[in-house]
Amino acid sequence: MRQCVVVGLGTFGASVARTLIEKGCEVLAIDEDEEKVKEISEIVTQAVQADATDEKTLRSLGVDKMDAAVVSTGENMEGSILITLLMKELGVKTIVAKAVSASHGSVLRKVGATRVVFPERDMGVRLAESLATPSILEHIELSPEYSIMEVHAPESFIGRTLREIDVRAKLGLNIIAIKRKLPYLTDTGESDFKEDILITPGADEQVADGDILVVIGPNKRIDNLRNL
Amino acid sequence: MFQEEKRDFKKLEAKIAKIKDKKEKVEKLIELGKFYFLNEKYDEAITKFKEAAKIDENNAEIYYNLGIVYESKNLPEEAGHMYTKTLELNPNHRLASKHLEKIVGK
Repeated sequence: MRQCVVVGLGTFGASVARTLIEKGCEVLAIDEDEEKVKEISEIVTQAVQADATDEKTLRSLGVDKMDAAVVSTGENMEGSILITLLMKELGVKTIVAKAVSASHGSVLRKVGATRVVFPERDMGVRLAESLATPSILEHIELSPEYSIMEVHAPESFIGRTLREIDVRAKLGLNIIAIKRKLPYLTDTGESDFKEDILITPGADEQVADGDILVVIGPNKRIDNLRNL
Repeated sequence: MFQEEKRDFKKLEAKIAKIKDKKEKVEKLIELGKFYFLNEKYDEAITKFKEAAKIDENNAEIYYNLGIVYESKNLPEEAGHMYTKTLELNPNHRLASKHLEKIVGK
């Protein structure tokens, strides 16, 4: 079982801690704020109110034996840099640190962070992308030229099989999965739907109204699909 | 099979057209809307639920169903409006608040 330490229990840190627990990891959560520690204490493996900039404290908590550390005290720049440095010195292999600016991120990398995240900046980019092109639901950039994208099935695809649409020959793209909603009635007779995913759908699969296509290919060609 | 289905829908439509009692008509329109929804005929389902809403504009169930169909069609904004309307009429509608939370964010 992977053991992780999360330092800083704001919205971001608490969310990371909660998800790690859901994924079956052991989590040590540290913050100086008693209230925040109390709030998360019932969820995580161990929650401690402590000053994480103190090396002795970190050692006594067994941080040196952790597989990964998440330093999410971003607003306290000095603190996050010092904690990242201490994690490095204690021998933690994976250190993920939250940065609030590019220069902060650069320092965090230099003192030992193996990965720097910018949640606010990244969320801003994703939000702008979704507002600018509402048909794109997810975008994973594989390289500057290639991506995996989730797009709404164009109206012209609905009711046709993948063989008939033939996006590979016509657009040079591959549909690697289809996300579909399956309508059903609950025990009390109310309408609802389940979300299903068809991985590598066959050529005879028919595209349905409301389908989301997971497409891989060159960005320029995915743009063509969006404009269909 | 498809032809039979089409006949069933038409039969139901014809039956409903003859109903005079408003309450019964709304119930049957909702039933038919759900039938269309289950058969993934979302546009037809929307038409039936809207017809029902014209007769009974304060029926939370109709707006909830419209929300579900809009969400199934990947129209989250329209779905959100419908779930909000459902909750205005019935604040305890558990499924409407679950779906609205999913769309808007908790």
